[in-house]
Amino acid sequence: MKFRGKIVDVACLNHFSRVITTISKLTKMCVLRLTPDNLFFVLSEKVANGGVSMWCELSQANFFDEYQMEGVSPEDNEICLEVTPENLSRALKTVQSAKSVKVKLTKKHCPCLTIAAELPTLSSISRVVTHDVPVDVIPRRLWHEFIEPSVPDFDVSIYLPPLKTMKNVVDRMKNLSNFLVIEANLNGEMNLKIETDLVSVTTHFKDLGNPPWGDDSSQDGGPSQGRDPDSMAEARVDIRRLQQFLMGQQVNPSKAMCNIVHQRILHLILLHEDVSLQYFIPAVA
Amino acid sequence: MDCVLDGNCVKAFGKAIHALSRIGDELWLDPMVRGLALRSVNSAHSAYACFLFSPLFFQQYNLGSVSEEGNETIKCKLVIKSVLPLFRCLSSIERNVKRCQISISAPCDRVMIRFFCRHGITKTHNVRFQESEALQAVFASHLCPNVLKAPARLLGDMVTHFPVSQEEITLSMTSLRVSLRNYFEGAKDHIKTMHTEISLHPEEFDYFQVGVDSDITFCLKELRGLLAFAESHCLPVSVHSSATGRPVCFSVEDMVLEATVVLATLIDSEIRGPSQPTETPVPTTPRWILLQQFQPDCSTSGSFVARFASCHREECVVCVPRCVHAATLPVGSCEARSNIPHDITAVTELVTSSQDSPIINPPALMQLLPQTDIPNEFCVPDAACPSTSTTPASTVICSLLFRALSSDEDDDSCAAGLNVLACYSDGEETMEDYPRSFLLGEVTQDALHILTFCDVAQSRSK
Repeated sequence: MKFRGKIVDVACLNHFSRVITTISKLTKMCVLRLTPDNLFFVLSEKVANGGVSMWCELSQANFFDEYQMEGVSPEDNEICLEVTPENLSRALKTVQSAKSVKVKLTKKHCPCLTIAAELPTLSSISRVVTHDVPVDVIPRRLWHEFIEPSVPDFDVSIYLPPLKTMKNVVDRMKNLSNFLVIEANLNGEMNLKIETDLVSVTTHFKDLGNPPWGDDSSQDGGPSQGRDPDSMAEARVDIRRLQQFLMGQQVNPSKAMCNIVHQRILHLILLHEDVSLQYFIPAVA
Repeated sequence: MDCVLDGNCVKAFGKAIHALSRIGDELWLDPMVRGLALRSVNSAHSAYACFLFSPLFFQQYNLGSVSEEGNETIKCKLVIKSVLPLFRCLSSIERNVKRCQISISAPCDRVMIRFFCRHGITKTHNVRFQESEALQAVFASHLCPNVLKAPARLLGDMVTHFPVSQEEITLSMTSLRVSLRNYFEGAKDHIKTMHTEISLHPEEFDYFQVGVDSDITFCLKELRGLLAFAESHCLPVSVHSSATGRPVCFSVEDMVLEATVVLATLIDSEIRGPSQPTETPVPTTPRWILLQQFQPDCSTSGSFVARFASCHREECVVCVPRCVHAATLPVGSCEARSNIPHDITAVTELVTSSQDSPIINPPALMQLLPQTDIPNEFCVPDAACPSTSTTPASTVICSLLFRALSSDEDDDSCAAGLNVLACYSDGEETMEDYPRSFLLGEVTQDALHILTFCDVAQSRSK
């Protein structure tokens, strides 16, 4: 198993760091899957996570100037590592001004992702900073847990309001209740509701727009097509999960949308030119 | 003592207090002819910081009724927690405070800190102090084989690569490069933590001299205060160090102030004597503590105190009169009685008056020292030593010292590599009018070494 990548462009390095920082805000540990074309950060659905799962896909060509990898075997040309994204984020944050950053899979005291950066200095010789982030190699028999999740048969899909606004609203609501109901319809309307014994608060968003999924054959466009545009699909979720998702957003997405499976799952999708992030929050009763 | 600082200087003064608060809980204010010294030591006595502000730093600087042997100036010990809040918000101090007056009045036991602020507001704070002798660590910078002088931001930038929670780092120096890496105690943490290493080329330093290749490990947290201070004043930082295990000194200086932080470093675990029992669950390598020395009088025998490595965090103090004749060493009588107070933390400020006989504050140590001069004997009189509770480790070390001093006895492994932290030097940090003396040496099984140093001591004494 070998992996070696090099980032030279400052903007790419910056972007990469921000993506990793976003991931680190969402979860303490996750799985990094390396394939010849992509990097995936995967969090699989487990009771320990509260049932949330995450899938983040990066196209390596958009970040790395050099990228070489050799997977576990020629048929399974992939590497699966369990890593703490916060360590990666910290390591990358300190080398933002580097001339070049190399990321390598190495074996030091344990398998590590080594981030080696050359920092510019006043003299001709650069400073070398090395961070060894310990990782765990995931054996092939467990790889099935980390496959790309399929888009669920959602009832409503809608674009999200500006994330900052949504975050402010959710922050305030968090003080009042532990659960939040998010509902939306095909008319571009979304409501965020909380209800307690003492108070109920609803925030209404209008004219959000609905993404045109209907043509995609992998989705079952049927139920959505015949759906009454005004009828709301809702999901009641743990407000802290939603807040965590909104808080971590460092990258301004080109598109942000969510799919709601009525009373089942809230599926949040953020799309960027080179990064896509999907986050699933299960609904609670 | 009475002094007045103007607005800009108050901020620097406040920064110094912030840096000192990183080190210990107590602040010693020591007004001297040379300037006002602020000092602090941490509870394990492995870190010491001193900020010396020369009289030029102040708008006015009066020592009050001074002059004889400096005995008249008051030396105060304050609790940092009571002083730090006064200087906590430096940006508001910068905006509002026009002048600051600090005065110490002995009769009332108070230090008065008065801020003259804008709009005619005057804030007066009275902080109680305890009178106590100035403590200081003496460090022979000029004897250090390794000297680095780093431009202002270099070290500060380097330490940003380490997480704020990183306790200790290792600075390795060879003639080709300097590197900093984080240090982990114990294998358990080793596996899952992130390792960081930064490598610097000698060209990056303003001055680079490496006489001895070494790896020194010291506490980073305690150093951060000084680095922040240096960065804010754009002052280069000098690093003086020697071999592994010896203390390292970081200092900055300017026309009107000097700041020094001396940190103990870890020695290699191999050097630990096999006979020392492990009492603590975590096998920590012995940590070298700075020598705490008080000044002996120049003419007759004073005493100096050597504090040894605290194995397992216990500290051993041995008091020895300065004039020595090793031949007369009565080892047997001294050895068993480990004159070592189990709790050494009380024995910190070592005092002598200007007279001959040393006076020590803490009662435990009182009993250790000879009350009168014993000019020609190198021995801690056991009559004076109460059988204080001691631990086997400290006993071993104490007896090792004495054994090493006697040429007859033959010790095998334990004394190997133990360093005496008794220091002897002239001039390096003469704070008052009387000469300091300290002795740097190594105790090995070969007793001759200590003799040599003692002879030097004798020859250098007036």
